[in-house]
Amino acid sequence: MPSITVPIAPTPPQVVVFNDDKATNGIATPGLATPGIATPGSEYYKPGADGTIAKRAHYAPPWADVSIIGIAGSSGSGKSTLSQAIVSKLNLPWVVILSIDSFYKSLDAEASRKAFRCEYDFDAPDVRTQTSLETVSELPGLPGSFSPQALDFDVLVERLRDLKAGKRAEIPVYSFEKHARTEQTTSIYSPHVLILEGIFALHDPRVLDLLDMKIFCEADADTCLSRRILRDQRERGRDIEGIIKQWFSFVKPNFEKYVNPQRNVADIIVPRGVENHVAMTMVVQFIKQKLLEKSTHHRAALTRLERDALSRPLSQKVHIMNQTPQMGGMNTIIHNIDTSPEDFIFYFDRLAALLVEQSLNNVFFDSQTVMTPQNLPYNGLTPAGEVSAVIVLRGGAALETGLRRVITDCKTGRVLIQSNIRTGEPELHYLKLPQDISEHSAVLLLDTQMSSGGSALMAVQVLVDHGVKEERIVLVTYSAGRMGLHRLTQVFPDITVVVGNLCSDAEERWVERRYFRC
Amino acid sequence: MAEIAPTKSVGPEYRSEKPTATISTVVEFDNVTVLPQTPQLIALLSIIRNRDTQRGDFVFTSNRIIRLLVEEGLNHLPTVEHTVTTPVGRPYEGLSFQGKICGVSIMRAGEAMEQGLRDCCRSVRIGKILIQRDEETAQPKLFYDKLPDDIADRWVLLLDPMLATGGSAIMAVDVLKSRGVPEERILFLNVLACPEGIKNFASKFPSLRVVTAFVDQGLDEKNYIIPGLGDFGDRYYTR
Repeated sequence: MPSITVPIAPTPPQVVVFNDDKATNGIATPGLATPGIATPGSEYYKPGADGTIAKRAHYAPPWADVSIIGIAGSSGSGKSTLSQAIVSKLNLPWVVILSIDSFYKSLDAEASRKAFRCEYDFDAPDVRTQTSLETVSELPGLPGSFSPQALDFDVLVERLRDLKAGKRAEIPVYSFEKHARTEQTTSIYSPHVLILEGIFALHDPRVLDLLDMKIFCEADADTCLSRRILRDQRERGRDIEGIIKQWFSFVKPNFEKYVNPQRNVADIIVPRGVENHVAMTMVVQFIKQKLLEKSTHHRAALTRLERDALSRPLSQKVHIMNQTPQMGGMNTIIHNIDTSPEDFIFYFDRLAALLVEQSLNNVFFDSQTVMTPQNLPYNGLTPAGEVSAVIVLRGGAALETGLRRVITDCKTGRVLIQSNIRTGEPELHYLKLPQDISEHSAVLLLDTQMSSGGSALMAVQVLVDHGVKEERIVLVTYSAGRMGLHRLTQVFPDITVVVGNLCSDAEERWVERRYFRC
Repeated sequence: MAEIAPTKSVGPEYRSEKPTATISTVVEFDNVTVLPQTPQLIALLSIIRNRDTQRGDFVFTSNRIIRLLVEEGLNHLPTVEHTVTTPVGRPYEGLSFQGKICGVSIMRAGEAMEQGLRDCCRSVRIGKILIQRDEETAQPKLFYDKLPDDIADRWVLLLDPMLATGGSAIMAVDVLKSRGVPEERILFLNVLACPEGIKNFASKFPSLRVVTAFVDQGLDEKNYIIPGLGDFGDRYYTR
């Protein structure tokens, strides 16, 4: 596959850059970007279909109101380098870069022919393989050109609004070889801060309305032209005359017409890009402030829920396992600090299988008549559809052996939610869900312990954001505190919860430590 | 007496719309425990009853039911209060299991239940009893038994997935009693029973506990349980 050269610095590991060909292969880890084939109108982002964040008065995850920072400027002004530098300086998984280049419109047949012909006319046979964002930029009105008409601002605005609402957004992947959007999309979900970077990031008024900070990167025109001359000569074998002619007939007029006016709406104008340490520190400070605000709001919301939850009876959808003699005995072995690791794991697996069996009583069934070997009918039941599971890492993984004993080939998604050591705030680090999760008739959400319910709230919110209806979610947990259960069922009254045993409200997560022995 | 083959809507209490299914016939013996007729159990039984179910699915599904039976059966064993210290340092007032147990399977179908027993009780001792129908008398006849030496000191989980007339189960209990196992320390674990078998068995041994997943409608003229699930041993081992 011919590689797409992207005019950005090498990607540091923490940075997720969309429209980078690596991103289309799916960098799934820190920025929670997962590649997916999504057709417009798919279940993934049905607006507000069933109680997404917009409707929730009670719980707003920290990504519910993403802060968006727009960075515009001419090519070579150091936008992308600056964005990268900011992200790597912050080094947080929830700060994500979105390149506006992802939103180039597909060309119709005629324009496409023109584009290819132009490439031929430019006498650059390698242009198809060497195509970069700016090599085709000389074509007015075509992708990569210096004209904003080539960008699909409608889709961009829609996606930004989705992200603002806390929903998953499918970002198109543009192929510069085919001059068209590919079938593939890349998803962005749950960033707390989004950096929107591109030549026209500050062009569309609807986008401006969504921005929390507007930055314009300035570069000296002489620098840009000289960089261009050097690059085009060396990499594309053009002559200086042609380059200069293009500069004055396309690039410069477009710059003056569209790019430069954006400086008038900018909050900050940054000269010298990444070398400008003062500007960079300012932006980083601003983002840190935003992140702190979000964290504070999130924690305050959790505390508020806590207060509201006290002294109310548990929802009837919370099922606490009967404390039968066997359950009592197994719980005692599991709780005993002197239990050997072998026994701990054995009894925990055994109990986990029972928990999963119990949780399956809350999934949906249909009547079904089967014929027995004696050719007699029996009026029985059959599951209404596929049952899948989502494991809240790390604790939930301890229930996986039990899960497999009950559903051997259960499709299993994973989500890593960690409590911040300093603040105790739950943070979403990683997410990988089955593509068709919104169609499953039930999703078992597995975790070992729930005390305050913060991570459970977040995990359920993630499922709801991915189109899983609340009544199809069964949260399965080995132990839970009363307050956490209240808090969770108040925000999500339609989910079912299956609990192995009740514990105190602030219990350490010792079960996973014992199970995994570290 | 019994309400034959009751059809009820099955599902959690909080749900308003629930599908209907035929649930276990109610039997009135204090020493018989029928597993809660949950939608999941009914769905599992539907799989193993279905004549079109392949052997692999039959084995996996019946193992799930058997594990539930074993878990319920073990609840009838004695426990004592037992307080331990948890990993976070607080005391936990719990229970500890009392008494030694062993399994005894009635060959061959009963052996299919051994895996489920081992899933719950590691390294459990398992004895075997072979009882077959005598062709001449049509009565069950003991052919073979191999039981733990100290069986008289143990609780016995007697395993047989099908309880039709109850003939072989009764004979197996007689064998256990002759080895000194008191009746009240025998738990009979069974997947599918019928009212006739329950009546014969449970009234003959009133101190023994029966745990079954489902009591079916009755028996046909060949003494097969109906609607039944076919020959359990065949479907588990050879079909």
